[in-house]
Amino acid sequence: MHGVSEAEVVSGIAPFLGGYYLFLASMNAVMAFYLWHYKHRTNDALVWTAFSLFMVIVSAAAMGGSPPGLPESVRNLVNWLTGPVIYSVGTTVLLVIAYVLRRWWVKPMVAWTLLNISLVAMGVSMVDANFAAIVTKPDNVPIVGLVFLLGFFTWLATAKAVENDNRAKEGLPPTEKLDDEKVLVWPDLVYTELICMVALTALLLVWAIALQAPLEEPASSVKTPNPSKAPWYFLGLQEMLVYYDPWMAGVVLPSLVLVGLAAIPFLDFNKLGNGYYTIEQRKFSYLVFQFGFLELWITLIILGTFFRGPNWNIFGPFEFWDPHKVLALNNVDLSQYFWIGFMGEALPKPSPDATTLSQILTILLREWLGIVLVVLYFVALPPLMAATIFRGFFVKMGFLRFMLMANLLLFMAALPLKMVLRWTLNLKYIIAIPEFFLNF
Amino acid sequence: MAEKKKMSVAEILAAARKTDGGATSDEAAPKSSDAAEAAPAAESSPAPEKPAAKPAAKPAAKPAAKSGGGRPSVAEMLAAARAEKQGGAKPAEKPAAAKPAAAAKEAPAKKPAPAKAKEPVAAKAQAPKDTGSILAAARNPSKPGPMTKAEAARQAPAEKPKPAAKPVKSKLTVPPMPAKPDYAKPKPKAAAATTTDRRGFLTGMMLGSCLGIGFVSMSTTFGLWLLGTARFMYPNVLMEPPSQFKVGFPSNFAPGQVETKFVGQYGVWIVNYEYNGEPQIYALRTVCTHLGCTPNWLEGEQKFKCPCHGSGFYKDGINFEGPAPRPLERYAIRVADDGQLEVDKSKLFQEEIGQWSDPASFVAV
Repeated sequence: MHGVSEAEVVSGIAPFLGGYYLFLASMNAVMAFYLWHYKHRTNDALVWTAFSLFMVIVSAAAMGGSPPGLPESVRNLVNWLTGPVIYSVGTTVLLVIAYVLRRWWVKPMVAWTLLNISLVAMGVSMVDANFAAIVTKPDNVPIVGLVFLLGFFTWLATAKAVENDNRAKEGLPPTEKLDDEKVLVWPDLVYTELICMVALTALLLVWAIALQAPLEEPASSVKTPNPSKAPWYFLGLQEMLVYYDPWMAGVVLPSLVLVGLAAIPFLDFNKLGNGYYTIEQRKFSYLVFQFGFLELWITLIILGTFFRGPNWNIFGPFEFWDPHKVLALNNVDLSQYFWIGFMGEALPKPSPDATTLSQILTILLREWLGIVLVVLYFVALPPLMAATIFRGFFVKMGFLRFMLMANLLLFMAALPLKMVLRWTLNLKYIIAIPEFFLNF
Repeated sequence: MAEKKKMSVAEILAAARKTDGGATSDEAAPKSSDAAEAAPAAESSPAPEKPAAKPAAKPAAKPAAKSGGGRPSVAEMLAAARAEKQGGAKPAEKPAAAKPAAAAKEAPAKKPAPAKAKEPVAAKAQAPKDTGSILAAARNPSKPGPMTKAEAARQAPAEKPKPAAKPVKSKLTVPPMPAKPDYAKPKPKAAAATTTDRRGFLTGMMLGSCLGIGFVSMSTTFGLWLLGTARFMYPNVLMEPPSQFKVGFPSNFAPGQVETKFVGQYGVWIVNYEYNGEPQIYALRTVCTHLGCTPNWLEGEQKFKCPCHGSGFYKDGINFEGPAPRPLERYAIRVADDGQLEVDKSKLFQEEIGQWSDPASFVAV
């Protein structure tokens, strides 16, 4: 990356990739054996055996110093795909696809194939110096692991929910009810916890020895590291700060997240789905959660970890982190769009000599369009929702609960809306009153 | 109960004196006291105890039992039965001191069982005779006669001091041997020596011993700490560089230049540029108006760029990209008497409220 040639990077990472592909080969060999010996599915077993052998060959190639990489065109395509608009809209689309096709991708063989594809994609991407530099940074290694862990748990929960939904269609009880036997805290639970504790401690020891802590230069109040990143679990909040005023993104919206999560038990009127996995019986709750967690939290963490580079610009995974990358990011407030762009006038500017009241009136005149839009969004939209798509919800929940839920939902939706508006229209603030630190 | 106990202790003392005074001479005394103990113990009601005990002490065991038996109580019947048993055993036991002890072991062991068994009956027959009092009576330490080891142990601490005091006196008075003064003399001497040593030790300790040094140094340390804490409240250092400082002559700043060398020490950019078409020199504060990171001046892009959330500012400090809601702030700047530029960080000028038109916020070029 920095003064290191491509060949040097490849030769440096080749031994690791050799072991990585060998691990993939053995993983698939075990799976093939399991399918053949326990499930008697010879065809599947043969497929995975062949794949495993192929991985052995790839591993040998990697050990020999020539691991397979991605062609330049594919890298550019991926860089283009991870541009902000496609990334944010694309993750939403992926979420919808995952929801619609859930019966397909929870099948074990499909999921196994997807896992292998992602692992191989990871391996071939590592040959790229820029990708390797981001992914192998000691800060980011655990996040890569967490991404795979998250994928596994999402699959597990969805698979169980799909199975329960299928059983419910046949009039059978959910699988959790079949295995209703009481388990003792001692020794069943405590032993499990003990084993987990020992295993995790061992893992942590190995990790601490293998990966050095990423210490940086001493802190200085006049020199901010570039890029300056929050801890990984706060990167979603840091991403939110890019689109909103610090008061909004740092105080109001995080508080609303907490209040909204605490309000869920009081807003939820669906008695079903208590104690077992299900999607069919709790479609709304499921979708809202997946949107809030996977879209508004996880994808933003991934964006902040892997795609945010110097000067907080967005970089593709195969893009060089150039601190002098020039992007046209001239942001414009809605009032400027209206007064300068649409009316062709100068912004109404409060004169510093005028009285406070006249200053405020001037500001309100300047921002009238944004204020009207925001008020419509939060006041007019909930009744509209109650009258149309959420009619049943409104009847069941009553006025107050419905209004609370609708406003929380609208606040959730405000973040991706604002993100897309920023990237497509360069819109900075819908209401911009810097005189009183009031921006939205 | 208190009266009863007093009585019983008095009886014990009386019995003890008797045994002490004429243990060998009078065998009837322990007998009678033994019977007396058995009878009131069984009755256990305070009122009849006195009359019962007094007659019981004088006559033999059987009359005592009979006097008690006059009252229609089951417990008394038991007591009488016990007295008979003991009385039967006594003739053989009395001569030897060891034998009563053996008999006592049996007797108390048997006592609780029948007492408990007949509790309800006793309760029905006579209200005052409850289980607690019966048991209390059974455990009465006033028994001068045979007793269990446990009882003996229980009574030992109460009874021993009294007999111990008497024998010591008698021993001291009775054998006035020449050896005594020998023992007595060294003891007072030793006591006197220790007291004088203590005085010396105390004074020594206060003046120069290790402990004295330790306490003195500790209190000194604490005193110094206290003084240090007081001193800490009035630091002798300037926490910040002076808010007014000189940055050189205006001619040092070329048109269009952003001077970044004062960032590290003072947190200020000196810019020779223009605002609203008027060329001027101004001092921009190096704090992003979004969340307070320090932006970097990018010479190639001719902009200030914040590494935290990507806010960008033009050379004149106006925000144009990223989330920063306001332009950078200006410090006051003026030409000092010696012709140098002087920045005053105590005054801030914000563009969005029209303060940049204040002549104190810039130096016209």
